[in-house]
Amino acid sequence: MTTPVLATPAADQAPVSGGPTVGQRLTSFMPVIALVALLAALTFADPDFLTQRSLTAAVRTSAPLAVLAAGATLVVLCGGIDLSIAALCSLSTVLFAMWLPDLGGLTTLVVIGAAGLIGMVQGIGHVVLRIPSFIMTLGGMSIFAAVALVISDAGPIRIVDRDATKWLTLYVGGIVPMSFVVAVIVVAAISLVLKLTPLESFVRATGYSESAARLAGTPVDLVKVAAFTISGACAGLAAVMLVSRNFSGSPTMADNLLLPAVAAIVVGGTAITGGHGSLWRSLAGALVVTLLRVGLPIVGVSSAWEQILYGAIIVAAVALTLDRSKVLIIK
Amino acid sequence: MTSPADADTEVVVAPRPRPRRGVSLGDAGPPIALVVIFAVFSLLSDDFRTLGNVQNIMDAAAVLAVVTCGISFVLMMGSIDLSAPGVMGASAIAVSLLVANNRNDNAYGLLGVLVALLLGSALGCLSGLALVSLKVPSFMTTLGVSAVGLGLATLMFAGVQPNIRDDMLDSWAVQRFLGLAYLTWIAVACVLVGWLIQRYSRLGRYAFAIGGAEEVLALSGVKVAPYKVAVFTLAGTFYGLAGVMVTSQLSAGLVQAGKGYDFAAITAAVVGGTLLTGGRGGILHSAVGVLLVTVLTNGLVQVGVSPYWQGGVQGLIVVAAVAAAVLPQRRRNQVTK
Repeated sequence: MTTPVLATPAADQAPVSGGPTVGQRLTSFMPVIALVALLAALTFADPDFLTQRSLTAAVRTSAPLAVLAAGATLVVLCGGIDLSIAALCSLSTVLFAMWLPDLGGLTTLVVIGAAGLIGMVQGIGHVVLRIPSFIMTLGGMSIFAAVALVISDAGPIRIVDRDATKWLTLYVGGIVPMSFVVAVIVVAAISLVLKLTPLESFVRATGYSESAARLAGTPVDLVKVAAFTISGACAGLAAVMLVSRNFSGSPTMADNLLLPAVAAIVVGGTAITGGHGSLWRSLAGALVVTLLRVGLPIVGVSSAWEQILYGAIIVAAVALTLDRSKVLIIK
Repeated sequence: MTSPADADTEVVVAPRPRPRRGVSLGDAGPPIALVVIFAVFSLLSDDFRTLGNVQNIMDAAAVLAVVTCGISFVLMMGSIDLSAPGVMGASAIAVSLLVANNRNDNAYGLLGVLVALLLGSALGCLSGLALVSLKVPSFMTTLGVSAVGLGLATLMFAGVQPNIRDDMLDSWAVQRFLGLAYLTWIAVACVLVGWLIQRYSRLGRYAFAIGGAEEVLALSGVKVAPYKVAVFTLAGTFYGLAGVMVTSQLSAGLVQAGKGYDFAAITAAVVGGTLLTGGRGGILHSAVGVLLVTVLTNGLVQVGVSPYWQGGVQGLIVVAAVAAAVLPQRRRNQVTK
């Protein structure tokens, strides 16, 4: 058994070189490799899988997960974690179902705004009170679940007016589901904003080395709060997508999306130590996770293995992508 | 505040964290809060201040106490453990399939309980091994192991709920000794055993030391990794027992046996004064925390608050408790992840 990593590795580390190492190159292609391998394996197991219909269905299923994972990726890039996304998404489905009769077409925007606001509150709590993000969001998770249970009376709320979410169930060009297009647009928009403004440097600096970023004048606190806000807003959008598919809001609707979302982020190759990664990776990760989910029954594996697989994937993917030079002591 | 030099000698001379100024209040806080909350609810509700309700509270605290015993050791090291739901689910289904039940002809009795505990240990060991060998942070490994445990439970569950027909296991939840259910005495025994391990065994002392200053411990020649694995294994065993206890209460094995217990246990430990940064608190602190959480849950229901708020109250408590605990150290850990 080796002794844990101590202060020594920092000393005998290789000098910083320009290009990425072999490991980094490999992990940067990990989601794409996994995606192609999975597609190939599934096609091999069932040749009917590679048809337009089943692919469309798979892509449509992945949309809420992709949006959830994309939002939380921002928090992970800043070096934190958001465990409340699934509970916030469930709460948002309830809010949507309750507000729809009064607000009509505006409900979508209002719910996304409200979810963003709730995310912002968590971010402020994390930054101002200096509570570690995972405990802040773990607390948030159980608060949101309780609020959702109380306001919905612990039951699903049916949606009568289906026009407000009809646009999400359409198909672009008759093939690509609108919800997936929205997911791609969200990822593209956030990535573009990050790219075109100093924000990307801010986020990466915060993730790679928060204290250095702070000394260099990065508005670390603001960046973190913004990341949590966007994560919350994405949970709201994912909620709208779920409602558009299920025609109801329920206090536990999205609860089982937390593990897949975390899996999507880490499978995408975003390091949970922060800094390294991108939203596109999480999109690919979400597709991988969805393919796994729909693929297991195809190859004849009981869906109980799904959970075990998620567990193994999370641990393995984190082990591959973790930036060990930064974490001297693994708690 | 002590000067840096003092702080160094302090750590080297005694791995046991010396109380700093103001800590004594922190140690006394949770018991005082417990008394105050108990008094307040006694004033508010007639039903609350009956002997029967006190029995209820003690019985309701049993499972949480056992889970919290396990998680306290992990928190003492400064790690975190989210694997309780998975481990409890797996052990609950395992034990219900091994004792007399409606699914198969097994009737191993105590041996079945033992196997369920071992399953818990194995899953805990898995978290620990992933932590020290793959160097994956504990909240990720335990999240993964929790999923693995739930998956195992679902596999064993196989669509038909196993109802137990084992007299011994059934009697644990029903039979009373000195007014408390057997399960409650099991929980008391667990707290006692946990305290003895924490106080007198190398494992317990090192768990504290790892949380206090892991570098120092490793530089003094202690191989930290085996102790970390051992602590997670111990925690897993406690969760396994908790799963068995839930099965005894429900008379049936459920995959969801441990739902919410991870967070409730973290809440209880943190409220009791076991810091998430490690090196502080202990089993007895956590036991007080368990009573606090249970009294609060019971009292809120008695005064007419919807039981659905239970999780929300726990969430608020944990955030407030952690915020209060890190407030004095604001400048020290400037980077909060």
